Amino acid sequence: MENVFKQIFYWMPFLFGIGFIAPLIAQTMNLWHWQAPFGLSNIGFGLIIGGAWGLQTVIRGRWI
Amino acid sequence: MLEDPKLDHGAIKAPVEPALYEPALDTGGAPALPLGRSDGLDRHTRRDLRKEEIEIARQFHGGRMWPYAVAAFGCFALWVSFFPLAIMGYLNLPLACLISCVIATGGYVTSHEAMHSNIARKGEKLRWLNEAVGAVSTIPIVFPFSMARIMHLEHHYHCNDPLKDPDYTDEAPNWWMAIYKTWYNRQPGVDGSIHHYKRILSEMGTPEAKRALKETMLLQLFFMAVLFTMSWNGYAIEAALLWWLPRHVGLSYIRFYLSWAPHHPREGKTGRYENTNLFKSKLGHVMSMGMQYHIIHHMYPGIPNHRTKHAYYAMRHILEARGVDVSPLPAVKGN
Repeated sequence: MENVFKQIFYWMPFLFGIGFIAPLIAQTMNLWHWQAPFGLSNIGFGLIIGGAWGLQTVIRGRWI
Repeated sequence: MLEDPKLDHGAIKAPVEPALYEPALDTGGAPALPLGRSDGLDRHTRRDLRKEEIEIARQFHGGRMWPYAVAAFGCFALWVSFFPLAIMGYLNLPLACLISCVIATGGYVTSHEAMHSNIARKGEKLRWLNEAVGAVSTIPIVFPFSMARIMHLEHHYHCNDPLKDPDYTDEAPNWWMAIYKTWYNRQPGVDGSIHHYKRILSEMGTPEAKRALKETMLLQLFFMAVLFTMSWNGYAIEAALLWWLPRHVGLSYIRFYLSWAPHHPREGKTGRYENTNLFKSKLGHVMSMGMQYHIIHHMYPGIPNHRTKHAYYAMRHILEARGVDVSPLPAVKGN
């Protein structure tokens, strides 16, 4: 059980990226009537940005 | 007959190795062990000052503590009510965000009183209230009371010790670096802030420390679950403005004003009268949460936050005699 929680917290920045940043990006774009590039949906665009950002944070240990 | 000094009987003089202690070479440099700054007082004077100090401090202990409980529960209830109100569209989000930032930051003050059992001590009738105030106050910053209390008491026991003071990682050379560090220390791969606390608790290994670690993990998971659920149901902006952003603002504000400002510079300053500074806050007494007089809190943690200013002015002459730099604050109490 402890190992499961360790893994969850290890991957938390990635989960945060897709669980929170992605919908936040999509809903902010909707609010300001912005369209995602390359014919992507706003949530698809949010998932790419949020997922990639979270993943690099897991690897580097820094959000920026 | 004059001797040729270059020859000196053929012997070349080597540099003289001094004895263990050579008074002539003693330039009064730094001691081998870092010693506290001397106040130049003899032990009788110190004892008399200490007795007077204790007498004065006694007058400021206790007092009305119910406003802390009212503030803690009132603010927590208001903050929780923001979530359904925001979902129903009845809330001015920017204003609610601002109020949430104030609640998240101010919650530490009420929790802090509970950490020192200033609302009620163990065995007293209202002990449950003390624990409840502590528990609700720091939920907005996702910092469980159990962890906050252990870490804060460790900070008091080992103030400014680079290895034992859990808040030592907040040290920075100037105010803008201190603000940057409040954010930097929260990065997932940096051993600062709550990550540092978690490591210390793991090393402590006591039942209380294990409980604090468990509660921290549960509160963090609850925070994430709320953010994710709200976000994927169309309320990501509400979640960000009511909890995520206020938490970060609150944590940075608390780290800056309650940790960096009153203890900078930390290095080598571990003595009772030197581990905390008096400083003049540009934002004033209330906005700095009374931290200008934080030295009183470190000397007497039982004096509640709202009375530290009055206690300071009552014992200012003693602090000055003990070598505390009292110049940053006016000699006479203002309103």
